[in-house]
Amino acid sequence: MKRRKSLIASAVAIAVLTAGLTATAISAKPAKKHAGTIEVLSLWGGSEKDAFIKVTDAFTKKTGIKVNYTTARDFVPVIRTRLAAGNPPEVAIIPRPGVLADLARQGAVKNLATMGLSSGYIRARYSPAWVKLGTVDGKTYGVAAKANSKSVIWYRPDVFKSLKLKPATTWAQLLAVTKKLKAKGKTPWAQGAKDSWTLTDWFENVYARTAGPAKYQRLFAGKLSFSDASVSSALRTMLQILQNKYLAGGVQGALGTGFVDGIGQVFGKSPKANMYMEGGFVGGIALDQVNTALRPGKTIDSFPWPTIKPAYGHPLVGGGDLAAAFTDNADVRSFLKYISSSEAGTIWVSTGAIVSPNRQVKGGAYPNSLVRKEAKQVASAKVFLFDGSDLLPGSLGDDWGSTLQGILQSPGSMKSKLSSFQAKAKKAFSGG
Amino acid sequence: MSTDPLSASLPRAPAHAPRLSGGKGRETLQGLIFAGPALAVLGLFLVYPAVQTIRLAFYRGFGFKFEHYLGLQNFKDLLTSDPDFLDRSHFPPTGAVVNNLKWLVIYTLACLVFGLALAVLTVRVRYEPVVKSMIFVPMAISATAVGVIWLFVYSPDPSIGLINAVIHGIGGSPISFLGRPDTLNYAIIFAYVWASTGFAMVVLSAALKGIPTEIIEAARVDGAGEWAIFRRVMLPMLSLPISVVTVWLLINVIKVFDIIYVMAGPGGGINGGARVIAFNMYTEALVNGRWGYGASIATFMFIVLLPFMILSVTRFRSSRVIA
Repeated sequence: MKRRKSLIASAVAIAVLTAGLTATAISAKPAKKHAGTIEVLSLWGGSEKDAFIKVTDAFTKKTGIKVNYTTARDFVPVIRTRLAAGNPPEVAIIPRPGVLADLARQGAVKNLATMGLSSGYIRARYSPAWVKLGTVDGKTYGVAAKANSKSVIWYRPDVFKSLKLKPATTWAQLLAVTKKLKAKGKTPWAQGAKDSWTLTDWFENVYARTAGPAKYQRLFAGKLSFSDASVSSALRTMLQILQNKYLAGGVQGALGTGFVDGIGQVFGKSPKANMYMEGGFVGGIALDQVNTALRPGKTIDSFPWPTIKPAYGHPLVGGGDLAAAFTDNADVRSFLKYISSSEAGTIWVSTGAIVSPNRQVKGGAYPNSLVRKEAKQVASAKVFLFDGSDLLPGSLGDDWGSTLQGILQSPGSMKSKLSSFQAKAKKAFSGG
Repeated sequence: MSTDPLSASLPRAPAHAPRLSGGKGRETLQGLIFAGPALAVLGLFLVYPAVQTIRLAFYRGFGFKFEHYLGLQNFKDLLTSDPDFLDRSHFPPTGAVVNNLKWLVIYTLACLVFGLALAVLTVRVRYEPVVKSMIFVPMAISATAVGVIWLFVYSPDPSIGLINAVIHGIGGSPISFLGRPDTLNYAIIFAYVWASTGFAMVVLSAALKGIPTEIIEAARVDGAGEWAIFRRVMLPMLSLPISVVTVWLLINVIKVFDIIYVMAGPGGGINGGARVIAFNMYTEALVNGRWGYGASIATFMFIVLLPFMILSVTRFRSSRVIA
């Protein structure tokens, strides 16, 4: 009898437990967030994150609205998963306009014009190129929060000075400097090609200067084939420098070296090479992480990407991050107003982490000559081209990087690699 | 008959054993109640998502929705027109499936051989616990951290990379292990072998100690050499633990992903040459948002894993009878 009683008791307990579980499963909708708190999602960690927290702290101090910053290094998978789960953040700062366009067409992000950011307000702060990046099918969904130039070549001024070399302004000069360094027994270039996006940036700079901005836009919008002669011709130009004899460790050494290690090969304590091609952010990483003994202007400096075909001049290839809203409420509205203000921009640039695309942010706000140079380049660019691989949909940008690695490894296979990449691109642009 | 204590512990006996009336139904109910919570949790968090994933594989699945039914189209695309998954246009074929096969053979064999050798050898030394703990330590490191550690070890710069420092020290020129398509895969596999050998070693060494010393001594008295003892006595007696370890390694290697992502990058290395099945599943579902296609890769993986899982379950059952 006693046994039966305990049996019934446990049966009841289990029934309750199961019911509880089902109930939790059913009510597992996103918990309503406490009023006065918003979540902002982006991909920055480390010092970039610290810089952004400084910006949001000032916002909280001013408005009392708390900002929870969430880091997602793998931004795209995270935002996709959270949308699928019905739990997006209030605001995301999106590193790729291609992703913003995807989200806008799915109806996941809000039209900013309905949220109090009129086109007049945005136009007063941003140049047309930046407004266009946040615009999808005629409506504005994203406002540029930060920018970076990727048309920068870093070099050792001390070595250049001792060998009487000057920063190059044309491709012919760049080749001449490369050859001269080689002739003096120095390794001209380092390249962190294991991180394949460094190669896509190389290609974009060469392509913009050999095929021109119009073809550039069409190529990365899926309207021009990667088998086009302009692509292979740009690649051959690029391989004039990215080849065994000019790279630290040769091509294979470069393919096995990561982005930061590559910086170390030029600006570390025992340098092996003398030039490095990557964006303005190299300066900050070199000074803070690689070698604190570096002196801007003395042992580290940069020059803008040289022209190749004079007709196309100095188009600027760059990256940037767009703030977009997934929820419309008063807190989110005031955050968007703030993040697009010169006040936020000034705090942010003073950390040395970014360049502000906001034209109301003053040059004096930048902390050192390296960032000031980059800011000037971004502000004065006549043609701004967004980083092409970031415009490609889905994983196509990464695929483009691995394809470029393959071409660097065996230039003879260029044609077949380009045509198989084009097959992939066609599929991805047609919506897979 | 029912008083025989042995028949009660043998699994087959109950069918014949006479029972009190009504006892059977009650036993079933009791069993259900005890297993109930576990079954409910498993059902909710394992069976339900698995069934939904398989269902999703038949849809286009954008936005994780069961929309745009495709039938078997995803599977057809996967096997015939996805060069990242399986490229049969040239010989030998390439793609994620082929890479996964390489992993399967090399990783499993290497872990077993190293694990067994270490298990047999460490028993003979006095500092056995120290050696064994050192070899087991990598098991406690996550695959991501293992990847980061080996990125340093493989660095082509002799002032960073351990291996190239040695090569440089003896006068060779550095090898860029992760920068060459012909070494990329093997370099990553080896790093993972380093991380998993400890597991094989610990299991096999425990089994080795379970072999009664009398048997080995008897063999020795009969004039068997060390190799003969290993080959004819130890190996047959270790066959069960070896197969358990093998199944574990196989399951582990079919779903390998993290270490490759860390070491080869989001594009899967030069020409995507380091991709495996799980890598493609991640890219298609989470990066490209093609949830349905990703689900079809997951389903493919599940089908490949199934025989190994069945094998491991039946193995465990037979091992219980022997023990």
